[in-house]
Amino acid sequence: MSMVVWVMMGIALWHFAVFVPDRFYGGIIGAFCAAIAGSAIFGWVVSGFSIPGQADTTLTSAFIAVPGTLLALGFSWWYGNRSETEHRPEVL
Amino acid sequence: MTSRKRNLSIIALMLVLLAGSFYVILTKPTVLGLDLRGGVELVYEGRPTPQVPTVTAQAIDDAIETIRKRTDALGVSEPEIQRAGQNQISIGLPDVDNADRAIEQVGTTAQLQFYDWEENIRGQGPDAPFAGKTALYDAVEVAAKEKPTATETDLPPDGASEEIEQRFDGDKKQIQEYYDRRNDSHSGRYYLFDSDKELITGPDSTCEELLSDYEGVKGPKRKQSEIPKDSKCREELAAIPVGKGDTGTTTPESSAAPKSGPPAGSEVLEVPRGIVVIEADRAENQPADVHNYYVIEDDSELSGGDIKNPEQNTDQRTNEPIVTMEFTDKGRKAFATVTKRLAQRGSEIIVPPGTDRQQTLQRFAITLDDQIVSLATIDYRENPEGIDGRTGAQINGIGNLTDTQDLAESLRIGALPIELKLVSQTQVSASLGQQALDQGLLAGGVGLALTLLFLILFYRVLGVVAAITLIIYAIFLFALVKLIPITLTLPGIAGMILTLAVAADANIVIFERIKEEARAGSSIPAAISNGYQKALRTIIDANVVTIGTAFILFTLATSGVKGFAFTMGVGTIVSLFTAVLATSAILGSMSRTRLIGSRFALGVGKDDQEGPRWHLDFVGKSKWFFSGSGMILVVGALAIAGLGLNFGIDFESGTRVKTPIAQNANVDEVRDALAPLGYEDAKIQQVDEPELGDNVFQISTPTLDEKEVTELRTALDEEFGVERAEFSVNSIGPTFGAQVARTALIAVIASLLLISIYMALRFEAKFVVPVLIAIAHDILITGGVYALVGREVTTSTVAALLTILGYSLYDTIIVFDRIRENVPRMPRATFSQIVNRSMSEVLTRSLATSASTLMPIGALLFFGGETLQDFAFALLVGVASGAYSSIFIAAPLVTLWKEREPVYVRRRKIVLEENGGVVPPFASGVLGEDGDGAVPAPRKPQRRAPVPAAATPAPAAPAPPSGDGNGASSSAAERKAERARNRARKKHGRN
Repeated sequence: MSMVVWVMMGIALWHFAVFVPDRFYGGIIGAFCAAIAGSAIFGWVVSGFSIPGQADTTLTSAFIAVPGTLLALGFSWWYGNRSETEHRPEVL
Repeated sequence: MTSRKRNLSIIALMLVLLAGSFYVILTKPTVLGLDLRGGVELVYEGRPTPQVPTVTAQAIDDAIETIRKRTDALGVSEPEIQRAGQNQISIGLPDVDNADRAIEQVGTTAQLQFYDWEENIRGQGPDAPFAGKTALYDAVEVAAKEKPTATETDLPPDGASEEIEQRFDGDKKQIQEYYDRRNDSHSGRYYLFDSDKELITGPDSTCEELLSDYEGVKGPKRKQSEIPKDSKCREELAAIPVGKGDTGTTTPESSAAPKSGPPAGSEVLEVPRGIVVIEADRAENQPADVHNYYVIEDDSELSGGDIKNPEQNTDQRTNEPIVTMEFTDKGRKAFATVTKRLAQRGSEIIVPPGTDRQQTLQRFAITLDDQIVSLATIDYRENPEGIDGRTGAQINGIGNLTDTQDLAESLRIGALPIELKLVSQTQVSASLGQQALDQGLLAGGVGLALTLLFLILFYRVLGVVAAITLIIYAIFLFALVKLIPITLTLPGIAGMILTLAVAADANIVIFERIKEEARAGSSIPAAISNGYQKALRTIIDANVVTIGTAFILFTLATSGVKGFAFTMGVGTIVSLFTAVLATSAILGSMSRTRLIGSRFALGVGKDDQEGPRWHLDFVGKSKWFFSGSGMILVVGALAIAGLGLNFGIDFESGTRVKTPIAQNANVDEVRDALAPLGYEDAKIQQVDEPELGDNVFQISTPTLDEKEVTELRTALDEEFGVERAEFSVNSIGPTFGAQVARTALIAVIASLLLISIYMALRFEAKFVVPVLIAIAHDILITGGVYALVGREVTTSTVAALLTILGYSLYDTIIVFDRIRENVPRMPRATFSQIVNRSMSEVLTRSLATSASTLMPIGALLFFGGETLQDFAFALLVGVASGAYSSIFIAAPLVTLWKEREPVYVRRRKIVLEENGGVVPPFASGVLGEDGDGAVPAPRKPQRRAPVPAAATPAPAAPAPPSGDGNGASSSAAERKAERARNRARKKHGRN
């Protein structure tokens, strides 16, 4: 159940990614994948490489996902921005 | 064939089908499921035996065959016996109100075994059973230390076969060991005892099965030091918190989830394969709760398969009901061999003079499902060569006449090839079933009436056509339900009501297209023809996915959801048929009549012009919609984390009893009555079930076996008066819950795969991901709302979630279909402008569809009774979220992603340059209105003056267009539009 909560939190926070210029690696969908991966991996690591079940899922489980999501989104944006600057496509 | 002839032919066909449908409806009975007519549903899980070490499909089929014979013997009409999942069997017994007898008759293994008693006895000796309060523990403890021994007597009467001799190179010991194992009737068995040496649960074949009741129990884990050193399953026990020792008690707030594990000092003992603990035969007047046990080596000489013609008879001397039987040739040989051996062994015993000869007589035991039913002696003086078995054998001391008849019947039909464990038991009283049927029909009627009313008010004459086709649809569907026949269950009724919305939506999609054509200035016949053609592809795309999802659900899901999926799949196919054929024929026939001769009749205003009806900058405002969704999901995630999902007994396992009681009582009084049985913590609610009476109680407890259910009913009956026929039970074991969850997950994954493949093939790969994100959005929001309001998650909820998945996709496909259509028609527009226009065009349809879908769902919610209400609540949230996400999440996402493509980056740059650095929300023109490569329908002379064409691609303008032109009415404009379209296609193709 914790995994559901982490991913849900990751997806929730990803919704706010539309407020920053779309320079995420892979665009908004890339950001989506990053948010899910970040929330899930961070939650899993912080929980001692385990996924707590329904009985052990608490409010804290939801907040655990926040830093992971933000870190992943930040990294995706930084990496995407760098790639875009280096390989800016020719327009017209 | 002219269109008029075609339409008349279709109408004639419809009339014939209607006549046929009425005939079927009037003559064929409706097959009602157990939930609507009352009865017993049992779900068994197959377990391996030494003879059948793997539960194969063949073993399950053989077991089903045996069960079918048994239900026939029970006199049950129309039993529903089917395989459920890989290793489960679902048995529906309509109109049966005695669950105990049904379970006894259907699921009992009926393993009859014959043992050489003196040879196989272990423990305290042949006449000294383990007795007392801890009899079972003592017997199991001794049995756990025993080991089977292989001897010459393990060989069959004719000796070892050649094949076995060769296999073991004539090694006598190995051959004996082989046959010793082959004679075993059981694999190893695990028992869980508490520190007082009382059985908590078992026997089971594995540690996992034994301790599965404690899955999900909260609390600190037990220490290794709290587990006795001889205990088996140490790792599994260590993972379970220490508790009070019950198999789970309920909290008032939650479902029947166990809250405590086995107490400290509990231990697991394993009786190895080859050794078995059996219950001693019962003495006269022996109290029911006193049990004695023997430990024997499991060397069965012959079994139930070696007997024939078992019959219930009467003992001439005692008038006691008995079962007599004969032996097969193989059985007779085995019987003769064992009795000869017993006689010889008896004769060889030397006893001191004066000793009772009886002490030298050897015995063989007949056991039925590990209980001794007969212990017969072989007198070596009367039968020095044993008994050849020609006279057969008899079993006495079985009990009353019914028990004896049942045993004879079980033996006649034969033993089950595998062991069956009851994992779910549902008993629905006939009154409760009738109430559910009434509620379902009322909800269906109200849902249909509301949908018809809405369509007529919104679409006027077209609405009347839709109403007629919807009624035709309902008649066809009901006739099909009777003809196939489809067993009508409560979820099935929900599926039918929901397909009403699908059928209505097909009409809505057609009507919106017709209205668009009419607004564009087409004549009424042309508007109908063109609108119909354009809508058809969209309808087929959307419905194919719904049918696919229904098929996956039907294939994978558990029985309750299966009924829903089947009716939904059949309903969608019928709705396609009626929408595609009936609507087309009726509209085609009416198109030149006065009835539909005006724009007003179509619901098109006098001054309505072509172009989108809405002028909202959907993509520009999407940030705020995203924020809204993000906030809802944050709240949902916190709710699921903090409050948790309230999983019902379908997932958590447990027993739920619903019963009316004769005397007035409150919850506390009922609790007091159940306290002596240990159910003082059970969740007890007084529920409103008018069909059952004024005092109806629902009691949720940990999973109870049939004996415990009987005790509970007896306790209630003695205190308040309970009618057996009105007593409903739903009992779910932990493995069944796990199976439900697993199949639901597989169904979701399979559905998503199907959706992805279809979308990628019909649209483009980039459209798939936003669709999946929109679906995840809807399902997560529904989950969050469930956590927030604390509603119980049941199998109905799973069906609802899967329906939401289908609906969300259906809605998104309608939007994406329009985007796909507009892309080639707007060759200079940015993707956001294309999406804005597309969404403006389909928003009315989306709102109309949502309204027409929410009406039957609302009817289910208000009139559908408890089960349908759960279902409707999930649908209500999901459908609302699905309609929202299609427009405000999926489409803007596609925009954000597609706008990164070089072609749209270029277009955006041009538009920005042309508009002073601003991208207007709407482009000012589109190519020919028949665009997207669709073959334009022949246009009849226009009834109104054509609007000057503006079909060439126009530069984007900053303001929303006042009209996108009409490219269909003049041939010059058409030619011009065609040239522009070709240019655009070439350019688009290059990009």
